[in-house]
Amino acid sequence: MITNGDVGGVHIKYLHHCRRQLWLYARGLRPEALSTTVQLGEAVHATSYRRASPIDLGSARLDDLDGELWVHEIKSSSRPSSADEAQAIHYCYRLRKVGVQAQGAVLHYPKTRRTRRLPYAEEWDQRAQDDIAAVLDTVAAPTAPERLRRSACRGCSYYDYCWSL
Amino acid sequence: MPTAARTYWLTSSCRIRRKDQSLLIEREHGDDVHIPITDVRDVIACKPIDVNTAVVSLLNQHSINVHMLSYYGDYAGSLAAADNATSGETVIAQVQLATDPEARTRIARDIVHATAFNVRRVIDRDLLAAPYKTLTASIKNATSSDELMGAEGTFRRSAWEVLDTKLPDWLQMHGRSRRPPRNAGNAFISYVNGIVYARVLTAVRLTPLYSGVAFLHSTMERQRHSLVLDLAEMFKPLFAERLLLRMASRNQLKEHHFDTDSNQAMLSDTGRKIVVAAVRDELAATVTHRELNRKVAYDELLYLEALRLTRTCLEGESYKPFRIWW
Ligand code: SF4
Repeated sequence: MITNGDVGGVHIKYLHHCRRQLWLYARGLRPEALSTTVQLGEAVHATSYRRASPIDLGSARLDDLDGELWVHEIKSSSRPSSADEAQAIHYCYRLRKVGVQAQGAVLHYPKTRRTRRLPYAEEWDQRAQDDIAAVLDTVAAPTAPERLRRSACRGCSYYDYCWSL
Repeated sequence: MPTAARTYWLTSSCRIRRKDQSLLIEREHGDDVHIPITDVRDVIACKPIDVNTAVVSLLNQHSINVHMLSYYGDYAGSLAAADNATSGETVIAQVQLATDPEARTRIARDIVHATAFNVRRVIDRDLLAAPYKTLTASIKNATSSDELMGAEGTFRRSAWEVLDTKLPDWLQMHGRSRRPPRNAGNAFISYVNGIVYARVLTAVRLTPLYSGVAFLHSTMERQRHSLVLDLAEMFKPLFAERLLLRMASRNQLKEHHFDTDSNQAMLSDTGRKIVVAAVRDELAATVTHRELNRKVAYDELLYLEALRLTRTCLEGESYKPFRIWW
C-alpha cells in the first residue's frame, strides 16, 4: 500500500473529486488512459505553453516553476475546481518540504483563457498534511467508498466500471 | 475500448521494421505500409511475422501487444508489452476469490450457464431447449470445475449436432476437433475462437487483473492466460457460431476457401482474408447498452466484461457473465 511520500497530485485530485475513484486508482484501475478527455488534456499541454518545463518531484510532477518560485499548473477543464486548488497547495507543500520557498500557484485554464492566482498562506501546510492523511485513510479502507450519484459521475473516466452492471 | 487507436490485422506474411515512430510493414507480396505507432492499439498477426528488437522496444513503449495465430488459427502466443496494468492490490483480491472454493465454483457455474445460454441463443432456441434444461439442472449442484466442464461438454455436443443440421454438408463439423481441425467447419470455429481469445487478452491487459488466475479453467495449466479462456467462453458463440451460420446461409463461404485433405483442414489465404474481414466488421458492430445507455461496439463488450470481473474481485459484487440481450 502507498505511504506518505507516494501521495501525489493525482491522489489529491481524486480525493476531492470522488473518494471511490481514489480507492480504485490505488488498486491499479486506470481507465483514464483510454478516455478521449485525457488525450485532449495531453494535447492541451503539448500545444498551449511551449516554454513550460515540467519538474519531477518523484510523486509530484509540476508543469512549471517560474523564476519567482510560483508554481504554474495548466488545466484542461474550463472551470476551476476545489480539486485544482488542493493540488496546487499540495505541490507548494512538497516544494517547501525540499527547501524551495514556493510563493504560491497560478492555475491556467487555456480553454477559457482564465488564470487564477493563489498566494501561499500559512494554513496551507496543515491543509496539505490533512489531505495526505485523508488519501492514506481512503486508500487503506478494505472496501470501496460508495458510488456518487449517477448524475455527479458524468464525465468521470471510471463511469463504465462503476455503472455497467 | 474507447480510443482513437485501432487494431491492425496482418493477413499475409510480413516483416515489421521500425522507422522512427512508425511501424513499417514489409509484405512479401504487395507494397510496404507505414503505420504511425500512435494509431495502433494492438496487432493480430494471422500469418507468420518477423520482428526485431527495435520494433519490440517501440511496441513496449506504447504498451502494444502483438497476438499471433498459429498455422491452424489457434492462438499461438503474444508479444506482450512488459509494462501492463496488473496491480498487487487487485491481484491479491483476485487470488482470494479464486481460491475460495465456494466463490470460485459460483463464478465458474455462472460462466458455463451464460455460455450455454449464448450458444442456444445463436444456434436454435427450440432444438436446444432440452439440452439447456439438462445443463441447468446438472450444474446446480456441481462442486468442481471438472463437473462443470463435463456438463458443458455434454451440452456442447448437442449444440454441434444441431449446428450441423443448419450447414451445408461440406461445412458440417461432425463434432469438435482441434489441432488440427478435421474439416472446414472446425477450421472456421478454431480460427474465430483464436481471434476472440486474442481480443479478450488485450481487454484483460487494460485492467489490473492478472491473466494467469482463473475461475473455470485451471489456473496456469496448459495455457498461461487461463483467465482469458474463462472470459472468452461467453463471447465465442457471439462470433464463431453466429458468423459460421450467417456466412454459410449467405453463401459467403466456399469450399475453395479451405485447404482440406482427408483428415485436416485450414483456411486458405483468400478464405482467411474473408473471415478476418467478417470478424473485424462484427467487432465494430454496435448495440445499445442498457445500463450505460449508449451504443457500444461488440469489441468494447469484451473490455466491459473484464471490468465487471475486476469489480467482482475488488468489491465482491456478484458476477453476472455476459448474456446476449438483443
Ligand atoms: S463514476 Fe462516479 S462513483 Fe465512480 S469513480 Fe467516478 S465519480 Fe466516483
